[in-house]
Parts: sequence; structure tokens; C-alpha cells
Amino acid sequence: MKTINLRLKQKMNEVFSIEPNDLGAGFLTIYFRKITAYLKIMPFIYIIPLTLFISIFLYFILGRFLIKLVTVLQYGF
Amino acid sequence: MDFKKTLIDFLTSFLIICNRLIGLVLEPYKTMRKISLEKDYWQLSIIIGIIFIYFKFIYYLCEKIYPATLVYSLFIFNFLLTVAFFYFLSKIFSKNKKEINLLSFIFTFVYSLFPTLIWFLSTSILYIFLPPPRTFSLMGKGFSIFFIAYSLSLLIWKFILVYLAVRFSSKQNFFKIILMIFLYLIWFIPYSILLYQLKFFRIPFI
Repeated sequence: MKTINLRLKQKMNEVFSIEPNDLGAGFLTIYFRKITAYLKIMPFIYIIPLTLFISIFLYFILGRFLIKLVTVLQYGF
Repeated sequence: MDFKKTLIDFLTSFLIICNRLIGLVLEPYKTMRKISLEKDYWQLSIIIGIIFIYFKFIYYLCEKIYPATLVYSLFIFNFLLTVAFFYFLSKIFSKNKKEINLLSFIFTFVYSLFPTLIWFLSTSILYIFLPPPRTFSLMGKGFSIFFIAYSLSLLIWKFILVYLAVRFSSKQNFFKIILMIFLYLIWFIPYSILLYQLKFFRIPFI
């Protein structure tokens, strides 16, 4: 019983280690929480399609410059 | 007996790192919160050790002006500078200065190096199998789009981890964290350009 209580206390301390974010305006805080909720669990579900879309868009905008940029990045390590 | 204990500690910490790495991909918020309370120094040593092996690896992969140990020492200096900057800034911003813990900054920032390490390691492996320059053929274009998407994904993951590292270590709100990151970039971008001019890093390893 003592172990369970200790674990529960540790978990509570962990969860409440920081205050919730407050952006000042109520509607801003609500939207901020809605958006960040997607990034807290499995963010790559949203990140991968988004970055694929951005890179295809960048290819249409930048064209050959994007391929040159990749060459530069590949020498970047 | 001591060796056995050390080996067990090492392997345990290694398994925790693997678990945390998967956690940072699947549940970054919850995992970073746990990391901010971490006190196991073996984990730091293992991650820093893996980064050292990476620097040695790229030294043999392509000709570098400076020895790997020197570049690695510079990386350690940059890392400590970054941690110290956020730590002291948090001390200034915080009302309750006692809740700011340097160890929390070190652990969270070390773990936030994973996207950087993965990108640098994968780029250097790609350098062996698909060496640049990229061509304007269909395959070249396809690879370029994939590579940009891959790099952007890791960059966004890096931003999320750095934000969470600062959030759980400094315990500040969103606006103050954005301000801290902005103040950091003010000096870090010119500093990175200087390191580029001195041919230490093309892209800063941070």
C-alpha cells in the first residue's frame, strides 16, 4: 500500500511539475491547447504529411534550386 | 563484483535510452517530462559517447581539416554554452529560483540532441550510398523532395524537443520560452557563421 502511495505521489509530482500554459487571452489559450494536443502524442502522424506537402510545394516554387540545396545539405555533415 | 555492477548499470541505462528514444517519437511531451526528473549519469555518458563515435566516424568518412577530438570538444563547449545560457536566463525570469535545476537542463538538452544525431548520421551514411551532387533526373528530383521532407520532419521534431526541454527545465510559459529561444538565436546564428568560416561545422551540431 505504501509503495502504491509513493508511486502515486511521484506521478502526481511529475504531472504537476509545471503550471498549465496561459496565453493571456482565453480564445488564444484554447486554440493553443487544441493545436499542441496533436503534437503531444504521435506528432509524426501530422508532421510527415505536412513536410511532404511543404517539400513538393517548395519544389514547384524553387525548382532546380531545391536540388542544389539538397546537394549543399548532403555535404553539411 | 564492481565490474558486474557497472556492466548492469550500463546496460540498464542503455535500455532506458532506447525506451526514451521511442518515447520521444511517440509521446514527446510525457517522455520529456520524465527526462526532466532524471538523475542517472550513465545515460548522459552513453549519449555523449555515441556522439563521440559519430565524430570519429565522419572524420574517417571524408577529409576533415581538424581532428575529430577537437571538433567534438568544440561541440561539448557549444552544448555547455547553450545549457548555461538557458539556465541563467531561466534564473532571471523565474520567480521561484530554487525550482530551477541545472541537471534537468542537461538531461533534457542531451536527449534533444537525438534528432540532430539522427540527421547527421543518416546524411553521412547517405553520403556513402548516394553521394552528392544530386542530378536533375526524375530520380534525383524524387530523392531531393524526399530528403527535404525528411530533414524538415527532423527539424520540426527538434523544435518540439527543444521547446519541451526549455519548458520542463525552466518551468516558464509559452511566451517566455519563445523569447528565450529568440534571444538564443540572436547570438547563436552569428556564432554558427563564425564556426562555418573557421571550417569547424558546415551545419552546427546542436
